Amino acid sequence: MCFKLQKKGGDHGSRLTSHPCLPTPVPTEGGQAGITQEGGKRMITFKEGNLRVPKWNRRVFIVAGGTTAYKKYFPEYKLEELAMMAFKQMLEDNDLKMDPLDVKGLINFATYGEFADHFQDQLLCEAKIHDYLGLDPLHNLGIKTGGATGGSTILAAAMAVASGYANVALAAGWERMDEVDTRTGNYYIATAACKDFETRLGRIYSSYYAPMANRFAETFNVSEVTRAKIAVKNHLYACSSPYAHQAGKYTVEEVLASPISAYPLRFLECCAMSAGAACVLVCDEETAYKLTDHPCELFICGGTHTLRVADRRHMEVPLLPNETPETYKDLYSKEGARYPGFESFLAARFAAWLVYRMAGIKNPLEEMDLVELHDAFTISDLQTYGDIGLRPYGQEQDYIESGDAYYINPNTGKPGKCPSNLSGGLIGTMHAVGATGIFQAAECLWQLQQKYDKFHGDPKIWKKWGKEKPKDWESLQIPKNSKQALWVSHAGVGSHVTVGILRKSW
Amino acid sequence: MAKKKVQIKKKIQAKKKVQTKKKVQTKKPKETKFIGQVTKIRQTEPRTVIEWPRAMTHVHTYGLLSPFFEGLRKGELRATQCPNNKCPENRLWIPPRAHCPDCHTEMIWKTLPKPVIGKIYTFTQVVYAGIGIELSTPYWQVDVEIPGLATIPKSYLLRGDPYIGMKVKAEFRTKKPTNTVLDYYWVPYEG
Repeated sequence: MCFKLQKKGGDHGSRLTSHPCLPTPVPTEGGQAGITQEGGKRMITFKEGNLRVPKWNRRVFIVAGGTTAYKKYFPEYKLEELAMMAFKQMLEDNDLKMDPLDVKGLINFATYGEFADHFQDQLLCEAKIHDYLGLDPLHNLGIKTGGATGGSTILAAAMAVASGYANVALAAGWERMDEVDTRTGNYYIATAACKDFETRLGRIYSSYYAPMANRFAETFNVSEVTRAKIAVKNHLYACSSPYAHQAGKYTVEEVLASPISAYPLRFLECCAMSAGAACVLVCDEETAYKLTDHPCELFICGGTHTLRVADRRHMEVPLLPNETPETYKDLYSKEGARYPGFESFLAARFAAWLVYRMAGIKNPLEEMDLVELHDAFTISDLQTYGDIGLRPYGQEQDYIESGDAYYINPNTGKPGKCPSNLSGGLIGTMHAVGATGIFQAAECLWQLQQKYDKFHGDPKIWKKWGKEKPKDWESLQIPKNSKQALWVSHAGVGSHVTVGILRKSW
Repeated sequence: MAKKKVQIKKKIQAKKKVQTKKKVQTKKPKETKFIGQVTKIRQTEPRTVIEWPRAMTHVHTYGLLSPFFEGLRKGELRATQCPNNKCPENRLWIPPRAHCPDCHTEMIWKTLPKPVIGKIYTFTQVVYAGIGIELSTPYWQVDVEIPGLATIPKSYLLRGDPYIGMKVKAEFRTKKPTNTVLDYYWVPYEG
């Protein structure tokens, strides 16, 4: 799908114009309907309405989060028991101003994220967990958008609150990826590639990202050391998390010397395959302030793109608020160059494009105090920096090399400008797929509420999950004056992406 | 008609009922037997974990894309194309689609003239693959630009080492075809 974006001005004025080969093209103001030729490249245009920026009917907030630890193999608990443990942490440990069961008494709707029925081997798992949490006969919806399931689950809960269907909605997610061995798990996940034309060519998801890594390195002249630095960073930050499944202190050399999954991606550059559950409580403004003095306002939007990267036709880059047409004047003029091609994710760019307008963000790097990105692989993390405008396309590596992405900038010894994945991310901490986008939101919330230490530094939490708090434990709490955090939930090779923003509202 | 049918049905049911009742009365009540396989216990500490075997076959249709796979068996690479001359997308599609995504018109089939020569757009070496992999690892997975296509299809390189920009030629597994997308692949092309 390639389309032309036409800016009319104002936060809500950007639109696509009508498609030329649809039966009755509707002429729209501010843009010509029809095909356009720019630089010899085809641009297909769409009808008005396709680019409407989402707007809540009333404000939406997140007030509490809960999570389990994440493990490769979790025989200690059944799935519903894990969901209950996350639910209890959310109700009991978030300093809410009401009795936990009274908070539960406010919930009238739930959305549940689960990536793959294959893994759970249980259809209608939602009903089982809903019953186990004691929420019957309230309605619930199961949400499924691959790796972006967690983000989509929160989006669905937010829609319920914004529309008035619910005042308080539970968004919970889980995955139990340990009923099968790793290679069978790889097989199941590879069924999230096109079964007719791609699954058989890899049978492992790293092999769908690795070609992007090679193309990205070639196009933008990026060393594999940059990717390795991302792995080192996220494994290291996971060392501070009692929930982490793949914590570790590695060097760049160790990452590059680790076994290859699909060239050039090493095992240490790939996410965990975990079992665990997470949840957040989404509510309207009045309830939010009744429950806590420290709620965060929620903005979240999504985008999608082809399941097969093969089918991504060239299009003009949809510009973020901090970019101008000049930014990409020469970037895609080379022969064979395509946007988004194998280098970028249009779904992520589109979700960011919408949510920045929804939340009034002008410059994400300046305005965000933390980002939690979907680092399923080092390369997808790197690609996303461009998609969400932390750097312009082509300069993604500078976000790492400048030190902006770190808790403490290794170049200056001062706090990083916009640290990334302090939770340890998917590489260091977890990827229990249906839980992931929800876990990230909970981490963003706790960081903004200045509760990183409470939820990561308490020796009791470490003990609860069968671990001992490390003697050299370090806090990764972002500064008190932090205002906003962003998280990305991402599926397939960029088939579905949500970008969410939490804004401190006290 | 409907009324008649109902009447007949009722008559038959009434007759049968009497018969089966007699049969049941004459037979000894059976005890239900376990006819499955005994489930293995994998571990009991810290909790009980059992094995849960699964084996099954799905059937899968290639639908309107069947000509593509028929083509592979004959050593041909077939693509689809939108025949609507008002549609701005007139390039070819592999993977093929039966309907144009832009104007929804039913596509037509085109066979690519041989030899099909493409250029490697990007690649990876698959070293570690999930269960059920049908190619011997490690192998080179390649994404190949083919002139005239809107897409950059994924396939594999049978021999040689790939690089971005490398020219390759399509070949086919017409002997003992797998009846899947693995029936075409690429080899290095000089010339």
